[in-house]
Amino acid sequence: MGFLQIVTSGLLLGGVYALAAFGLSICWGVLNILNIAHGEFLMLGALAAYGVYALLGINPFFIVLAIIPIFLAFSFLFEKLLIRPIRGRTETEILVASILVTLGGALLIEDVTAFLWGKSFTGIPYSMISLQVGGVVIPLIRLLILAFILALTWVIHFYLKRSYTGKAIQAITQNREGARIVGINIIRISMITFIIGTSLAAIAGVFYVVLYSMTPYMGLSLTVKYMCIVVLGGLGSLFGSFAGGLILGITESIIGYYVGSDWSPTVAFFALVLILLLRPQGLFGRK
Amino acid sequence: MQGISNKIKIIFFLIVIAVIAFLPTVTSQYFSVFLYQLFIYMILAISYDILGGYTGYMNLGHSCFFGIGGYTFAILANKNLGLLVSMVGGMGAAACFGLAISYPFFRLRGAYFALANLGLIILLGLLAHNLKPLTGGADGLFIPIPYALSAVYYSSLLLCLLTILLSYRIGKSRFGLALVSIRADEDVANAFGINPYWYKLAALILGAIPASLAGGIFAWALTYINPDSLLGIEIALVPVTMAMLGGTGFVAGPILGSLFISVVQELVWTKLPYLHLAIYGAILILIGLYMPGGLIRTKAFQRTLSRLGLTERLYWYSPKQISGL
Repeated sequence: MGFLQIVTSGLLLGGVYALAAFGLSICWGVLNILNIAHGEFLMLGALAAYGVYALLGINPFFIVLAIIPIFLAFSFLFEKLLIRPIRGRTETEILVASILVTLGGALLIEDVTAFLWGKSFTGIPYSMISLQVGGVVIPLIRLLILAFILALTWVIHFYLKRSYTGKAIQAITQNREGARIVGINIIRISMITFIIGTSLAAIAGVFYVVLYSMTPYMGLSLTVKYMCIVVLGGLGSLFGSFAGGLILGITESIIGYYVGSDWSPTVAFFALVLILLLRPQGLFGRK
Repeated sequence: MQGISNKIKIIFFLIVIAVIAFLPTVTSQYFSVFLYQLFIYMILAISYDILGGYTGYMNLGHSCFFGIGGYTFAILANKNLGLLVSMVGGMGAAACFGLAISYPFFRLRGAYFALANLGLIILLGLLAHNLKPLTGGADGLFIPIPYALSAVYYSSLLLCLLTILLSYRIGKSRFGLALVSIRADEDVANAFGINPYWYKLAALILGAIPASLAGGIFAWALTYINPDSLLGIEIALVPVTMAMLGGTGFVAGPILGSLFISVVQELVWTKLPYLHLAIYGAILILIGLYMPGGLIRTKAFQRTLSRLGLTERLYWYSPKQISGL
């Protein structure tokens, strides 16, 4: 396997990372809560995709459309039952309660899923023809997924720049009090942001299960990985999450190939320590 | 009932300690094992509370020190270095690890700090799996030093008492006041001449030492360790769940929390092979939603505590926080 091949597969992994990491990033920016259960939405998305595929056997891109309504409802409930009750407390209390509630939610989802589903690894064996470009073999499905992720990122970018909700999301991230003063309904926007963010994770989950295999216990370590990406790229920036995700994905696949696949999961943590030592504001953040 | 004098309190505690120390001679071995595990959990919860409670930095990765202590103990014991040297080695390794992570990780605050430390556990678990020549990988390590239950029991009891004393002394001292002021507002504390980094580092190391020794004792008693038993997610949840359930920032909180969970564990967990993590999760959600101050700040316990004359520490919280509890 050539170097280019490794970089290409890393690029793809990075794209999947970027999607979910951006979801985590906007939730943090708007809700001021780090959702430790974020990775669980990805896991559930992957599991739902597997279920839909096993039932209907359709193309993964249609699976995305099929599971979105499920996740809109699920994240609405999650926000309503667990996140909203802790609003309106003092800042320290929100911090402690949010860690407890989202960590507890993550454990509950993980363990109940593992109990119902079993601890096995599963993946979707969906394949298309492969393209060969200058000695690099790229399966078409991977290329399409990458294109889909890029298109989705583009749509999000315009949504944030043009629509009222998108502008409100940015305003709250920049200055919560200011946003409240100009009459932005923070509770409503928070809910919408949470739903968008977790749905992004669920969509990333669909691609995850197509490209790799999943287990019910992968959620927490994925959340940690996404937090590393968010710190790497700087908070709340779509570009930062995307670049951070790509950097991590490529590094992981290079390390996985040259050092050993056992070591690729450790890359994110070393990257986190390194970035905190050298550039704590993130690669693209300003002081 | 404020009239109970210090002397009577001390005598009362000495009697309790004497009874606990006397227990293994009259009760079954099963009960002794239960108690020794309770002590280990208590040490973890109280040592977590030194950083997590007083300074408010939730360290979800506190069991890192436990795992490092246990693993270093096992590695050194396999090199035939004897019990004491191996224990001290584990302690030193954990303290060095705390020193090493403190500089990058104390740049994170709040939820980021918590989650990054959880990541450290996952990282150490991966390292324990991958560094096969050192840790034995997934196969784990055997500990060649034979153990006696009574030795394990008394050493964990002693360590537990010392940890309680340490946390209690910190709570009473100027040092503890500095830690609490960091929790209230780190920037203001800094402006008043408290260097937050050094204080947080001291709290981290003071918490790391008992946890690493507990890890050593735990590994010794297990006789066989693997990545899951020392660095698994279930053991990682022990300190934070117990301390938060009992109530943080006050030594009686983690003691109460670990007692409560150990008893529940004994009654429920042994009969239920699955869903342990889910139960932890449900407990965490319930604490977060309904009882952020922990058991100790509920009315019933407040009354008992005030009878024992132990309430003063609880009011270190700002008035705003008290009203919410």
